[in-house]
Amino acid sequence: MAQRLKEVDVVVIGVGMVGTMVSKELAAAGYKVVGLERGQTRETVPEFQSPGIHDELRFDVRKALMQDNTREPVSFRNQASQVALPVRRWESFLPGTGLGGSMVHWNGQTYRFHANDFQLATRTRERYGKNFLDSDLTIQDWGVTYDELEPHYDRFEYLLGTSGKAGNIKGQIQPGGDPHESPRSREYPTRPQKEHYQGALFRKAAGGMGYHPFPQPSSNLSEPYTNPEGLKLNTCVFCGFCERYACEHYAKAVPQTVLLPVLLADPNFELRTGCQVQRINLDSTKKHATGVTYIDAVGREFEQPAALVITCTFAINNIRMLLLSGIGKPYDPASGQGVVGRNYAYQTMSTVASFFDEDVIINPFMASGASGTLINDFAGDNFDHSGLGFIGGAFIGAVNTNGRPIQYHPTPPGTPPWGKAWKQAVLKHYNHTLMFSLHGSSQAARQNYADLDPTYRDAWGQPLLRITFDFPQNDLRMAEYVTSKAVEIGKAMGAKQVAGSPRKGPYTITQYQTTHNTGGTVMGESPRTSVVNRYLQSWDVPNVFVIGASNYPQNASWNPTCTLGALTYWAIDALKNKYLKNPGRLVSA
Amino acid sequence: MNRACAIATGLLVLAAQPGLTSAGTATSTSKTSAKSPGAADISVCAACHGAHGEGSAAAHVPRIAGQSAEYLLKQLDDYASGARESAIMANFAKPLSAEQRGQLAQRYAAMSAPLLSEPAANPAQLARGHQLAYQGDELIRVQACDSCHGPDGSGVLHAAPYLAGQSSEYIGGALKAFRAGSRKNDAGELMRSVAGHLADADIAAVSAYFANEGSATRP
Repeated sequence: MAQRLKEVDVVVIGVGMVGTMVSKELAAAGYKVVGLERGQTRETVPEFQSPGIHDELRFDVRKALMQDNTREPVSFRNQASQVALPVRRWESFLPGTGLGGSMVHWNGQTYRFHANDFQLATRTRERYGKNFLDSDLTIQDWGVTYDELEPHYDRFEYLLGTSGKAGNIKGQIQPGGDPHESPRSREYPTRPQKEHYQGALFRKAAGGMGYHPFPQPSSNLSEPYTNPEGLKLNTCVFCGFCERYACEHYAKAVPQTVLLPVLLADPNFELRTGCQVQRINLDSTKKHATGVTYIDAVGREFEQPAALVITCTFAINNIRMLLLSGIGKPYDPASGQGVVGRNYAYQTMSTVASFFDEDVIINPFMASGASGTLINDFAGDNFDHSGLGFIGGAFIGAVNTNGRPIQYHPTPPGTPPWGKAWKQAVLKHYNHTLMFSLHGSSQAARQNYADLDPTYRDAWGQPLLRITFDFPQNDLRMAEYVTSKAVEIGKAMGAKQVAGSPRKGPYTITQYQTTHNTGGTVMGESPRTSVVNRYLQSWDVPNVFVIGASNYPQNASWNPTCTLGALTYWAIDALKNKYLKNPGRLVSA
Repeated sequence: MNRACAIATGLLVLAAQPGLTSAGTATSTSKTSAKSPGAADISVCAACHGAHGEGSAAAHVPRIAGQSAEYLLKQLDDYASGARESAIMANFAKPLSAEQRGQLAQRYAAMSAPLLSEPAANPAQLARGHQLAYQGDELIRVQACDSCHGPDGSGVLHAAPYLAGQSSEYIGGALKAFRAGSRKNDAGELMRSVAGHLADADIAAVSAYFANEGSATRP
């Protein structure tokens, strides 16, 4: 029997970056906020300090910062005709857990999406005609425009202190930045990161081919920075342990470094860790949430009543929270009806390895998570897709983040996968190989979705989330095309051998690609095709807001975090200035 | 010896060395062996830094024996260019050629020296120093010194100098100079960022801790 607690104004599920931002703003506005975090409290000191934090076996191989999938895995299959099995070891993507959430182990790559991305369906139809798309694609507009999000992008970047070079300020193209980007209102808060040798080689070759190289926007900072919350960040030291690790230097923008101390000092906020939320509770009408039920770390069940519930968990967990709570109609791929779990998408990653002679010293270990150089000439809709048979694209960049000893072993095609010949090849190529990352868009498709697993349950007895996903043919054609362009750049750098690896199907859950899971609770203009409205409010239960990359109708050519930060500030603005002043539907269905 | 006295001594030594009166001319009048690494004349340096590079605790003169050659060379270069300000060291570093500075750095990097005796530190101070060195302090947003300076402050080649066995006077002076912004030759303002969060008592504690930490890790 659940113990019923005193009602609060707001309960926030998941205290990662989004949960921290939402809680901080609403607590500061005078509302009583409880943040429920399933994991542990973590701070830069002591949890993130080296040498412990540089333990590659613990953090990289054994995924110490990730969701505990002995207790709470997901199940996976490529197609609806298969039986899904639980993922007992994370590989393809790495959802984090604990205070600060997945952002604690991010790379700091801080891109904005382009104006076109937010109106993808409309713009694609306008530019290429209505019969251009493959019939399985279910792309749609976001219901919010780039111009509406711009001030929120700006605010988020200044919260993080992002290091970069603007390419377009209020319509004026800026030398050294990305000329393809949508207009921003001002320069980045800090200078771009130093360019490493890989980036310099790439810049020279890509620039020579007429492309537009620019420094990767990085939230591992290039210089000390004090953000508008009064918190000071330090300069990144290029240690090469960003993704999968936490930063010991207060140099990576994560909740702990940019906002949590302010939130935790607010008496209107209460953090509870070790709390596994089981469901959002609804009243008998199923149109109003009454709070949440959670189980604490010693197994006690509590009901936390609240006037407003905001779920801010990692994308796939947001989907599951709604399914477990009976909020919104689950998606049925056979009929195409229903919305929760619909438009689950990912990212289409390809690579190009350029192998040089031994006189070219790369020093891959001397890097940060976002210290590369890249081009957007083949990203999004920055090139003409007429006759190409696909939409979307990828950025191409020398954006390699590390040269860590256990996991970084570039070898040319044809090298045996183990044994003496493999060891000799690693020795020969480790410091003379330049890796490009091709970070590709992922279009939503009818056959890709998430629902509750009919068989497997978590440690609390709740059904697992079941993901059904394979790459749409559109995205594989995109990967093939963009990889061919990247191979040309590799050759122009003067590499002895260039090996392109365009992403091929089927999608494999046992190989790391990215932790950019999107969709499933998508935002949009109609309750028929979206779970939340343009303010991220549930169409079905207006006192529930859902914030996460799960809101993306499809995924664009860039890392999703910055757009999520902008959407969060956008939703906070609507909460503070619209919803909380007059609770109810912000958009009529 | 107070600071003014140290300056006077340094100048006297400089004047007394004919080999260093004009730019870029090393002399063969050195007492050091030609077989030593770099074969540079170190008698000038030795006047303050000691015959074996052990330093001089009382005069803010650091121990440089066994310090990484890269670090020593950067400091010499910075003294010469003015990136690190010191009237005394500028006088010595400016006349040296780049090659001579490199030789000196190599020479001292290869040395070992006995540890100097340190003023007694109280246990509470050493405990606070250990906390800052080994773990850091979230309340003042300071990461562990060892994160960059290596296990027990033993130094990290190419990256950060050793602190273990360094004189507490010198460490304390350096931290205060970083905090005040009068020393600014740290890459990325890393030391200025850290020192900016340290109170006088923290500086005293961490300096005493590293000064007393030397025996196990330094040559």
